[in-house]
Amino acid sequence: MPGKIDATVDVILAKNGDPAAFIWDRFEHTVIGQPQAIFTRHPWWETSAIPTLIDTELWRLDASRAGAEQHRYDLRRDADGSWVLAVDWG
Amino acid sequence: MSFPHLHVSSAYSTHYGVTMPENLADQVQAQGDDFLAVTDRDGLYGAIKHFRACTAAGIRAGLGAELAVHDDEHRPLGRVVVLAHGGMAGRGYAALCRAVSAAHTHPRTPSISRRRLASLATLRTLTVLLGPASDIGQALTMSDSATARTRLTAWSRIMPEGSITLEVVCHLTPSGPGSVGPATRMLGLAEWAVLPAVLTNAVRYGTPGEAVTADLADSTRALTPLAELGAPQSNGQAWLKPDTLMSQVGRMVVDVGSHPPGTLPRLLADTAELADRCTLDPVTDIGLGRPRMPEAAIIGITGDPHTELWARARHGVDERYTNSPLLAEAHAALAHEMATVHQLGFASYFLTVAKACDLMRNMGVRVQARGSGVGSVLNYALHTSAVEPISNNLIWERFLSPERQTLPDIDIDVEAHRRHDIYREIFRAFGAERVSLMSMTNTYRSRGAVRDAGRALGIPDLDISAIAKQLWRFNARDFRTALKEKPELAEIAAEVQRSQQLEMLVGLTERLDRLPRHISVHPCGVILSDLSLLERTPVQASGMGLPMSQFDKHDMDPLGLIKLDVLGVRMMSSISHAVEEHRRLTGETIDLDRIPVDDPATFDMLCSTRTLGVFQLESPGQMELIGKLQPRSFNDITVEISLFRPGPMEANMPLHYLQARHGETNPDYIDARFRPFLTETNGVVVYHEQVMRMIDALTGDGLGHADVLRRHLGKPDHLAALGDYIIGKALTRGFPREVAERAWKVLSGFGNFGFAKAHGAAFAITTYRSAWLKQHHPAVFFSGLLTHDPGMWPKDLIIAEARNLGVTMLPMDVQHSGLQYRVEILDHGRHAIRLALGELAGSSAAERQRIAEHQPFTSLQDFRDRVRPKRRTFEALARIGALDAFIDYNRDLRGTLLAHIHALTGAVQTVTGTQLAFDLDLPTPRYANTVSLELRGRTQTDLELAGMGLTVTHHQMEQFHDLFRNIGVTPASKLLDLPGGSEVLVAGVRRATHTPPMRGGTGRVVFCSLDDGTGPVTQVVFFTDTQARIGAAAFHTHYMLVRGTTRRTGARGISITGEEVWDLHDVAHTINQRTHAEKLASDTTTTSLDIGHVYELFEKRA
Repeated sequence: MPGKIDATVDVILAKNGDPAAFIWDRFEHTVIGQPQAIFTRHPWWETSAIPTLIDTELWRLDASRAGAEQHRYDLRRDADGSWVLAVDWG
Repeated sequence: MSFPHLHVSSAYSTHYGVTMPENLADQVQAQGDDFLAVTDRDGLYGAIKHFRACTAAGIRAGLGAELAVHDDEHRPLGRVVVLAHGGMAGRGYAALCRAVSAAHTHPRTPSISRRRLASLATLRTLTVLLGPASDIGQALTMSDSATARTRLTAWSRIMPEGSITLEVVCHLTPSGPGSVGPATRMLGLAEWAVLPAVLTNAVRYGTPGEAVTADLADSTRALTPLAELGAPQSNGQAWLKPDTLMSQVGRMVVDVGSHPPGTLPRLLADTAELADRCTLDPVTDIGLGRPRMPEAAIIGITGDPHTELWARARHGVDERYTNSPLLAEAHAALAHEMATVHQLGFASYFLTVAKACDLMRNMGVRVQARGSGVGSVLNYALHTSAVEPISNNLIWERFLSPERQTLPDIDIDVEAHRRHDIYREIFRAFGAERVSLMSMTNTYRSRGAVRDAGRALGIPDLDISAIAKQLWRFNARDFRTALKEKPELAEIAAEVQRSQQLEMLVGLTERLDRLPRHISVHPCGVILSDLSLLERTPVQASGMGLPMSQFDKHDMDPLGLIKLDVLGVRMMSSISHAVEEHRRLTGETIDLDRIPVDDPATFDMLCSTRTLGVFQLESPGQMELIGKLQPRSFNDITVEISLFRPGPMEANMPLHYLQARHGETNPDYIDARFRPFLTETNGVVVYHEQVMRMIDALTGDGLGHADVLRRHLGKPDHLAALGDYIIGKALTRGFPREVAERAWKVLSGFGNFGFAKAHGAAFAITTYRSAWLKQHHPAVFFSGLLTHDPGMWPKDLIIAEARNLGVTMLPMDVQHSGLQYRVEILDHGRHAIRLALGELAGSSAAERQRIAEHQPFTSLQDFRDRVRPKRRTFEALARIGALDAFIDYNRDLRGTLLAHIHALTGAVQTVTGTQLAFDLDLPTPRYANTVSLELRGRTQTDLELAGMGLTVTHHQMEQFHDLFRNIGVTPASKLLDLPGGSEVLVAGVRRATHTPPMRGGTGRVVFCSLDDGTGPVTQVVFFTDTQARIGAAAFHTHYMLVRGTTRRTGARGISITGEEVWDLHDVAHTINQRTHAEKLASDTTTTSLDIGHVYELFEKRA
């Protein structure tokens, strides 16, 4: 069952820049396989200011917590560099 | 690890790429990468800048172009990237140039045929990248692999082996063309076809922060607001990503498909390998820095160019200096110059320029060199230049010396209206494969930027126009500063504070600053080269049809391309028109080369500051300066022209010069050794030539090196070292330290400002000729000015000036007016100028042509039959009185005529009978009881202004002359009688507005030139504090009344310091109301301008 999470998490990046693991609720979740990044733009002209970046950065990845069953997650990286666990796809 | 980008659009892909090549190259270097290809859309517009940037950044450069391709049936095959291979002695680059030029021969939008591309790509000269925008990529986006395979097969069948590479692009969009799906399918297709694939990022900007600017570019390209843009870029990932991020993209692409092991390393390796193959050497591949002149046979010589040049030059000197005391000196100078020419191997260059000048002269065109080339005896001997350099103290080394690193540059002035004919003749004579016009890159300034930014945000056109109109020439990125500082922008500034949308507008406008906007043909540059030209520059059609290089003037010198600047000078056209009119009227030929150059009447006129229409001397600032300077010789004119430049003005040179000239200060020569070359300007350093001689005297390095040092004067970083060097050298040469330091102070203050005397002297010839003609043959002179419109003033003012000088102006008349202004001789022998047909707004060239061809007409019917005017033209002609011939010049009948034309044109197709009847009835109209109401209450002046924007018989200010008398306006013609400091009212129609650069850059002064119809224009000056008070009125009030104070600016100069401004219409209205409503006791003035107060002030005067 997909669930909206919206929790700030710490993400550990691999040397090549891909997310390798994230810590959610004190538990480390290890990324399995190649995570996929998705960048979606927003129509800034409908807002009231010119943005620095026009994209939202989202990472879709599979991860599991200490041998538990793997889930698919969406991790969002915000403009300030902080990570948010957006969705748990189950 | 490093990643080479092979597909990058720079800002020279106008309205697409948004980052300048220099920034891209610097970014690549900073990211630790070592290669960058720029592949601009439809051309190599940024190529040479890219090369220079890469050399400066120490990285390898590749070059390509993104081109549309079509098949044999002209069906589009999408867009591909064509990359040139290096290490092939330039063949790759040549094929690329040819491919781009071929694409531009396609009608409407550039596109190259696949077959042509295939033939250019033979011998492994080119790689064609088939990526997402190709027909193959389009099929893959639709997940149609079968079609993609068929299309790839078609490509493989036609293209030479090894010329095709597939291009994998992924912008990590959620779906669609930029997503991982089509990218991984492209990779799969390469595996299927056993073709190499490379990874690119189809880059449009350097950093992700510039994605907004790319949005703006998309909006501008589509001429559509962003909100209505069908397909904005799907995200902001088309940036110049560093290698880690590119590898990451590669990993994701490979991961989503099923590819054999080792796919990613192979993809990256193939990318690197292609980059290696496409690395171009600036010298061996592009031929940078190697000049190529037309072949000997083309310039008409058989032997050694140097020997040939020697022979011609010697002969030329003998002929030019016959009976001249300078003959021996000239031969010595020639030997000196020829030594340099020989050393640099430029003999062919001089022969080429001389040949071009001969071509022009043979066409009957007056040719006149300008610029530093005028300092050469060689150019004078070859008749390339008309100024004798020795007597004018000009210097060869200012033009050419072994110390100079750049190619010589000769500018040729010609009559403007013959310029296109001249180009065609040069193309014909040299051969189209050796000649091309040069282009110029137009960059965004504030007005254009605000318009495009406004459109992107969907701000209504009218609002944007209102803002754009307020913006004078400043850079877009200075928008914010300008809003703060300029009083006339105060309203916008306040609005910006309130409105977020306007705040965004300002931000976007700044982003466009200085980005290339479009390219157009350069107004004068012609590139002359040998048969290899089209393999070194891509060309496209210019507006006038002749091929134009995609390179601009900054690219010429690095590319070793010789350019000849053939400048159309409209004043030269005006002068030749005047000479021709004079010949037509009198049969006499004025030989301009032989008019006396010391004519007192001409100098008297110049001293009187009535220089309107005189070349280079007609601006308000020049009028003021000439009033102070009081020129009495040709050399004085040269000084005048040279002083009136931004640099000298900023350095306050005019003041120093004037003080010394008029004996207010003693000429300061600093040292006796400087005296010989400073005498001509009373000790003030005005010219580049004087700077060179001074440096030479101080250092003993010779004039060639002196010119190199002179150029460094403009570079603040070099200044300290240069000073040490020059002073140090001077001390060893016996200059006392105090003298050396003072001399250096003068030199460093001079900067690289000022003017080459060579340039000033060349201008002065045309200046003097125009002044002489104005003085002695005003009617033909003004007919030339009005025909070719060479100056800064509106025609209405030129006409007013002509009238003031006693030349009658004749109205437009279809029986007499021609395509050009002609002089007619009136009964009593006086000269009059007949208005030309071109002044009628809205008429077409074809209509005017037919009028000129068929006149005179026997009747209105005859006119209508043979001219076939559009209804609008027909009526407009009647309104302004150009058809008065058909009513016996009885103005009272014009309303009737117009009514008749209204009726006539309504029924033109059917009622032929009436037309015939009408023919018989003219010139006595029988429709006396039908009168058009259009003319009621409108004076002839009103009608002329509305129909032509100028007035022929009366001055447009005459309607206010009663008012002026009432309120005590001082006429312009009487201003000179007033002492300085008098409080006055002046008025008039605004003829020009200037905001000249000010010394020290503090404050800004607005000059308004007002014309009240009585004499010369009145200069009104608004200083900063006044501007703050009157706001936009300083720029926008058209009919002005100004209260101010006179300021004497020399013997014959006066200007007004403006303090208050009113709109004349408002004043007239208020005063009318007062007169009519005097019964109202109470004072009800409500206008913010407080006109009531002024009225009382005037009453006191009256």
